[in-house]
Amino acid sequence: MSQLSNRLRSTLLHTLVAVAVGSAGLGKALADTRTVESAYGPVEISGQPERVVTLYEGALDAALAVDANAVGAVITRGGSDVADYIKSEAGDIAIVGAPAETNIEAVIAARPDLILAPPRINQQQVALLSRIAPVVASNVPMFQPDSWERETRLFAKAMGREAEAEKVIGQVKERISEVAQVVSAKIPAGQRDAALVRWMPQGPLVMAEGLFSASLLQAVGFELTDKDLVKEGRPHSEPLSLENLSSMDQSWVFLATLNEDGDKALDAARKSPAFARLNAVQNDQVIGVSGQLWTSATGPLAALAILDDIEAAVNNIQP
Amino acid sequence: MTTLSPARAVASRALFPPFVTAGLLLFLVIIASLLYGAGPVSPSDAFMVLAGSGSEEARFVVSELRLPRTIIGLVTGLALGLAGALLQSMTRNPLAEPGLLGVSAGSGFAVALAILFGASTATLTSFVAQLGALAGCALVIAATRVQGLGNDPVRLILAGATLTGLLLALTSMLMLMDQRAADEIRFWITGSIAGKPLSMLQATLPSILVALVLTIIVARPLAAMALGEKAAVGLGHHPGRIRFLIVLTVALLVGSATALAGPLIFVGLVVPFIARAFAGPDIRKTLWLCVPVGPAVVLAADVVSRLIAAPAELSLGVVTALIGAPVLLAIVRAGRMPSL
Repeated sequence: MSQLSNRLRSTLLHTLVAVAVGSAGLGKALADTRTVESAYGPVEISGQPERVVTLYEGALDAALAVDANAVGAVITRGGSDVADYIKSEAGDIAIVGAPAETNIEAVIAARPDLILAPPRINQQQVALLSRIAPVVASNVPMFQPDSWERETRLFAKAMGREAEAEKVIGQVKERISEVAQVVSAKIPAGQRDAALVRWMPQGPLVMAEGLFSASLLQAVGFELTDKDLVKEGRPHSEPLSLENLSSMDQSWVFLATLNEDGDKALDAARKSPAFARLNAVQNDQVIGVSGQLWTSATGPLAALAILDDIEAAVNNIQP
Repeated sequence: MTTLSPARAVASRALFPPFVTAGLLLFLVIIASLLYGAGPVSPSDAFMVLAGSGSEEARFVVSELRLPRTIIGLVTGLALGLAGALLQSMTRNPLAEPGLLGVSAGSGFAVALAILFGASTATLTSFVAQLGALAGCALVIAATRVQGLGNDPVRLILAGATLTGLLLALTSMLMLMDQRAADEIRFWITGSIAGKPLSMLQATLPSILVALVLTIIVARPLAAMALGEKAAVGLGHHPGRIRFLIVLTVALLVGSATALAGPLIFVGLVVPFIARAFAGPDIRKTLWLCVPVGPAVVLAADVVSRLIAAPAELSLGVVTALIGAPVLLAIVRAGRMPSL
């Protein structure tokens, strides 16, 4: 009997303490609670989240760009880890799934206080993940030239780091105008037509003009075309018959593969007679690039890395 | 073909008319394969090339893209058609098809394993595929030895489906282990003859030639075995030895075809089915008729695969499966399933 009342007393005491501490925290939190518009409605977030799990390459990029503490990420398409370009920034980050499938237990193990999700995540997943931490799924329409900017701002707002976001977006814009100057100095007008192609085991894949890296190419002065081969409703890419490869023969061909470095991709493609006879190949104006970075990643850090690639390629031109 | 009296038709069907007809059809399909593609080179452009002129672009597309895949398609169809006919005759089962019985899946698994260990679809040796096909064959033979299974066509197919399911699951497991390998395997496993270099054909040609010689050697004893094992022994053949040779031949044929085009399901079912319909039950006639019919079926499917999804291409394996599945159902549903 007395044991029971003892336990009751201690429980009451604990509750009181908890309420007291909790309301103090609540007061502080209320002061800077903000509403972030997510793809599945508004999400209330307070303070600066300290453990961010990113289920989307663009979200990981944004989180690292604004110096947030990212504690979980998904593998890049075609890889077994985060994309190479962001590995050194991401460090020893925990992998919590692949782009299309999340390992819920790994997310829980990462103990996040914020989860950033891709636009295409489904509602059930969001409902499930929301029981772990607030979930902000991007509500930005994909494959627009400014998608990455708007996404970075959205995620930065969720992380309470909007000032940092503006800073890094400014950096990207500065780099765009720098690289644009290099392009206009090195390549005469009228020779800046380009195509972005991914080389897959089954053959070529033409990437849409609206793709992230494609819009950066256009921003620095390349005239990019997908020759309307990418159909409506397939905004990312379209596989091509080898017979159609010649329609992608522009002055410049940026050639990506998913998982090997650019040079290996180039070697593989060169073995194909349909590729070897392209004018861009004959003129040595094919730039091998990483498909992880160029056809899968988005975000300010990816933009900076892609701009570096473009600048290096253009600087390599022998006059 | 049409005027034969039904009673004697089965035994005495002349081989010549259907063979010539099929040969003519094959010729037309080869021309179609050179004329049609998913790209901007139109049939009339391609025809100009065949006539000796045409633009540089058209010449390239016809001679470097369409011609190699046409040749590879011919060889693949020949190999799979003969393999299906041999396997069906030996197991006395009209449904015994390399793709359905797990022979192709065995070959596919072996190739997937090789890709995982660093081989690329371009550098792949046909040896690996043939080894896998041989292992698949051995499992099929083991299955036919199980009591009663060999006499029941559908149960044999069920055993084959089980084996295929198992091997496909193992292949999927390999794909989950490595994304680079997964991309290559996924492409390869659906089956295609697009963009394959002719050098791959050179690698498989010796084993195909050996298999053709073996086919000629086993054709007569196999026909004798159709009369019953005792009759075959009475005629001086050794059924055990013949069976071994057939398994070897099928493995060489399916392995080569799989190395060239990936595991194409149903070709080995459809081709002998058509050939038997015109040649009757004599395995020698069926084999002869498979020679033009096999390549024609594969090439026709390939032409369809190019036209159906332009500017991309559908996988050849998808098209052969779409053609083959109804044929399988037709054979099973025709209550009087022929026992071979």
